[in-house]
Amino acid sequence: MGAEHAWLLAAIPAGAFVVLALFGRYLARGGDWLGIAAIATSFALFFPVLADFLSEGDGLGPFTAAVEWTRIGDFSFPMGIFVDPITIVMLAVITTVAFMVNIFSVGYMKGEPRYWWFFAVLQLFAASMILLVLADNLLLLYIAWELVGLCSFLLIGFYWEKRSAVEAAKKAFVTTRIGDVGLLIGIILLWREAGTFNIQEILRLAEEGHFGHTYLLVAMLFIFIGAMGKSAQVPFHVWLPDAMEGPTPVSALIHAATMVVAGVYLVNRMLPAFEVVDETLLVITVVGLVTAILTGFMAFAQTDIKKVLAYSTVGQLGFMFVAAGAGAPEASMFHLMTHAFFKALLFLAAGSVIIGTHHHQDMNELGGLWKRMPITGTTFLIGSLALAGVPPLAGFWSKDEILVVLDKQWGPWAVSLLGFAAILTAFYTTRLFIRTFLGQPRDPHIAEHTTETPPVMTGPLLFLALLSVVSGLVVFHEVGTALGFPGGFGEFVFLPSHGPHGYEFDAAFAGASVVLALLGIFTSGWLYWGGRLDRSTRLAEWQPRLYDMLVNKFYFDELYQAAIDYGILGFSYVVSWFDRYVVNDTGVDGSAQVTGYAGFILKHLQSGRLPHYAMSLALGVVVLAVAGLVMRG
Amino acid sequence: MTLEEAQGYVLLATLATPLVTAAILVLIPSQYRMAHRYLSLAAGAVMLGLSVYVFAAYQVGHDPIQMTLRWPWVENVAFLGEKGVSLYLGVDGISALLTLLNGIVAFGGILVSWKIDYRPKDFFILYLVLLTGVYGTFFSLDLFFFFFFYELAVVPLYLLIGVWGSTRKEYGALKLTLYLVAGSVLIWIGIFAVVREAGLGTFSLPALWEAGQSGALSPAFQKTFFPFFAVGCGVLAGLWPFHTWSPDGHMSAPTAVSMVHAGVLMKLGAFGIIRLGIQILPEGAEFWMPTLLVLGTIGAVYGAVGALTQRDFKLISGYSSVSHMGYVLMGLGTLNAVAMTGAVLQMFSHGVMTALVFLLIGAIYDQAHTRDMKDFGGVAKVMPLWVIGYVIAGLANVGLPGLSGFTAEFHIFVGTFRSYPVFGALGVLAAAFAAAYMLRLFSIVFFGPLNPRWASLRDARPVEVISGGLLILSILAMGLYWAPFVDRVSETVLVLPGVTN
Repeated sequence: MGAEHAWLLAAIPAGAFVVLALFGRYLARGGDWLGIAAIATSFALFFPVLADFLSEGDGLGPFTAAVEWTRIGDFSFPMGIFVDPITIVMLAVITTVAFMVNIFSVGYMKGEPRYWWFFAVLQLFAASMILLVLADNLLLLYIAWELVGLCSFLLIGFYWEKRSAVEAAKKAFVTTRIGDVGLLIGIILLWREAGTFNIQEILRLAEEGHFGHTYLLVAMLFIFIGAMGKSAQVPFHVWLPDAMEGPTPVSALIHAATMVVAGVYLVNRMLPAFEVVDETLLVITVVGLVTAILTGFMAFAQTDIKKVLAYSTVGQLGFMFVAAGAGAPEASMFHLMTHAFFKALLFLAAGSVIIGTHHHQDMNELGGLWKRMPITGTTFLIGSLALAGVPPLAGFWSKDEILVVLDKQWGPWAVSLLGFAAILTAFYTTRLFIRTFLGQPRDPHIAEHTTETPPVMTGPLLFLALLSVVSGLVVFHEVGTALGFPGGFGEFVFLPSHGPHGYEFDAAFAGASVVLALLGIFTSGWLYWGGRLDRSTRLAEWQPRLYDMLVNKFYFDELYQAAIDYGILGFSYVVSWFDRYVVNDTGVDGSAQVTGYAGFILKHLQSGRLPHYAMSLALGVVVLAVAGLVMRG
Repeated sequence: MTLEEAQGYVLLATLATPLVTAAILVLIPSQYRMAHRYLSLAAGAVMLGLSVYVFAAYQVGHDPIQMTLRWPWVENVAFLGEKGVSLYLGVDGISALLTLLNGIVAFGGILVSWKIDYRPKDFFILYLVLLTGVYGTFFSLDLFFFFFFYELAVVPLYLLIGVWGSTRKEYGALKLTLYLVAGSVLIWIGIFAVVREAGLGTFSLPALWEAGQSGALSPAFQKTFFPFFAVGCGVLAGLWPFHTWSPDGHMSAPTAVSMVHAGVLMKLGAFGIIRLGIQILPEGAEFWMPTLLVLGTIGAVYGAVGALTQRDFKLISGYSSVSHMGYVLMGLGTLNAVAMTGAVLQMFSHGVMTALVFLLIGAIYDQAHTRDMKDFGGVAKVMPLWVIGYVIAGLANVGLPGLSGFTAEFHIFVGTFRSYPVFGALGVLAAAFAAAYMLRLFSIVFFGPLNPRWASLRDARPVEVISGGLLILSILAMGLYWAPFVDRVSETVLVLPGVTN
């Protein structure tokens, strides 16, 4: 079992989906065991793939295999898989988190209607997501890209009796679809010049200067629009917080750890081409920075646990884009991995809170839960510290890496902006933890009935907490080597044009990074410690308009709604009106009336009443005769 | 008898099945309702089987035109010479695929017409005559019979809609018929001009194609008469701005007629543009195709935007048909092999998904007697199977990968970008609008809290499940493994005159 069988990782959950979708409702326990077995198999099979990949040659050679799907003349379209270090990292993240989420869901979704359907779609998602990272060509990638979007749509709208869930699902699908328009245009533009969809071929041609500079620039910007849509970067970020309407395990898997990082993956995958037109790198960096800072602020005034985490996810995706924009896929993919673990942990812990408190997720009703839910509380704390960037947890190492590469590429301005975003992260994370788990319960009634969740839910929490602690340690050369990565994990992911270079640990940056985290944590602690809200309330009253801005998330949604209502729908009304009244009533019915008058005259020439149909035939003959005369002459 | 000859008789049988059945139905007195239904259904099943055979037996890698059969009819009379008019049948890759489409949609249409109570005898007779016309047009390699069958397909529509329709049916039927007849007049003029100008004394299409390509038809002539075919057939294909019969016609038509009309008849128009326009007048096509491309693109965007704010189910599908047929014309307009293959795939894809949509709309309208979306809400609770079918059709409409719509549209976009990137991009954008109007429909009608008024709606009935299942199967087949479709179509498209690779 080697890398050439990596497609099995996707095929097994896909098969489970077909079985569950058709027969899931008739299976015992809704077939959840089948889903878990399928994803567990994929998880287990990942290790032989990894081992085979590491043992081949120098351990870093990519693996590729393809079959021809169709051919039209010279236009051949092969489908294939491609395994390289970036793929390996993604596979590790997807299979691990998907496995944990499937187990967790058994507890979380217990007793829900359409239980079987939930597990069916989870399998389809896992299959599509794995396919997305295995695809060796952009078209297959696009196919998988749309399929994960479909799964996201189906799962956000899982509780479709709720109007809000339906609206959120629609918003997610349509918003990402707008990004996908960009992606598809970008893909076809690349194909137009390269004559192939194969990613490695396109990258090679780009580096050889096969594309014109402006042409490639435009194409890559279109590709990046697709990445922005999927990864919810400003201004496409509006769908992700609403997507929290979906069941919490879905938020953990799709809207934190895997699908939303597809954009980051795509940018890293295509980074050599982005580097050829390096103006795009600045665009990527700026988009990432703006997103990280804006969403950091947006998370300030949220009181729904999941919404805070959603904004945090968007912000952390911004961090990953910043790293990619600095030309450092190793830092970007590293943060992608650590973030996947600790953010999945945070979401699942939030899910555990929701179940433990019997469906309460607003901080205004919670507080003091640590005593009642010790495992959930402790794991949530670990996740929070990792997110805030406290050493030696995972988030610290990867964030530090990003600051180092950012300094090297763009200099102090970028570093200070990202540092600011890091303070914001630490701030809202601390606020979230304090207001949920510390102090006195705000609603004693809820707290009284709160109990720790069963092991089927705390088990995945503990495992992910473990990963949130240790996964950052691969930054050390010795750890990477010991795990079997030649040259350490730092040299595992790299751009061929740059060659591998390990992670650099810079004491000054690490120190500064810790200071930033502590700054955020202490400010937040000072404001909220012990469940007090008087200081923050006074702050809000001091600048009410600023507070309004934050509560309303800078009015993005209102702005878009207005643009849709007055722009697009207005346009549609104009088109409908034009079609009904101008084209139809005036152009068609109007001329029909003229014909009608002619028919009225003709009627007197004929003996009986003529139906309109025969009338037209007669007219046709006349026209024909005239045409015949014209042709003759 | 060689295989080729035998297969020619298969085509003849496919064509004769509905016609002969219709003739038998005429003889059976109208009070034997079940006899009419069962006989029609049997004919539908035979047609489906034969259509599947024609598609499957079409051999890739051989002469593009296969399964030929030729019975001379009028020879050496007046200006007609040797083989003047003959019943000349045969299929190429394009018509083989469209034959399959017709078989699937026709069978489904007959099945869902089971419940028709008002004069079922007349309904089935007309319906079968219409189907004969469709098959005949796809099979004809003789211009005379091409036009004969084309008209045979169009004429029964007036009665089918006018008698069995709903919602302003007389208006819809009349408008549609006037439009199509006007189109036919143009085609007729074009046909006589071509036959006369070629001066071969024959209506044989292959002979005329040869004439068009060899220069026997002068460039000036071709440029003059191409619009006659393009507009004449384009009317039926929903060519913007001659599309307004489509929303009204669809709104008025009974379910089975909507299915076969949007599903197959609109494709007849696009097929005519290929058969008559591109194949007989290649130089005219080259001259006019950019215009067709522009009109197609306008139609694609216009239909999608227009659908955004509609409230009637059928109007949404009517506008969405304009949009999707716009893609077909856009693909044909590029004269690029990939995009044209996509255009033909789109004909099939749009055919099956629209037939499915109209089937489902009919199923809910029969119970609810309203098609205003705002009246509904949460029907997924009571009609899960119906919703699943509609969601699949809708997602195919949106161009979701794994379903037929994506396969077709992606080929169209790829080919269009080759020469016309801006129009390709507009086409991609229209697909995003498609997502908006489809998801709007989903969210208003299917989901949310159940409107108690509809608590007693029943789910899809067995006849709807069978015919819908067949259509869903076709959507999935083209979406997942499109090689059998692409192979047949592309081989034929590549040998069309003036097509660039």
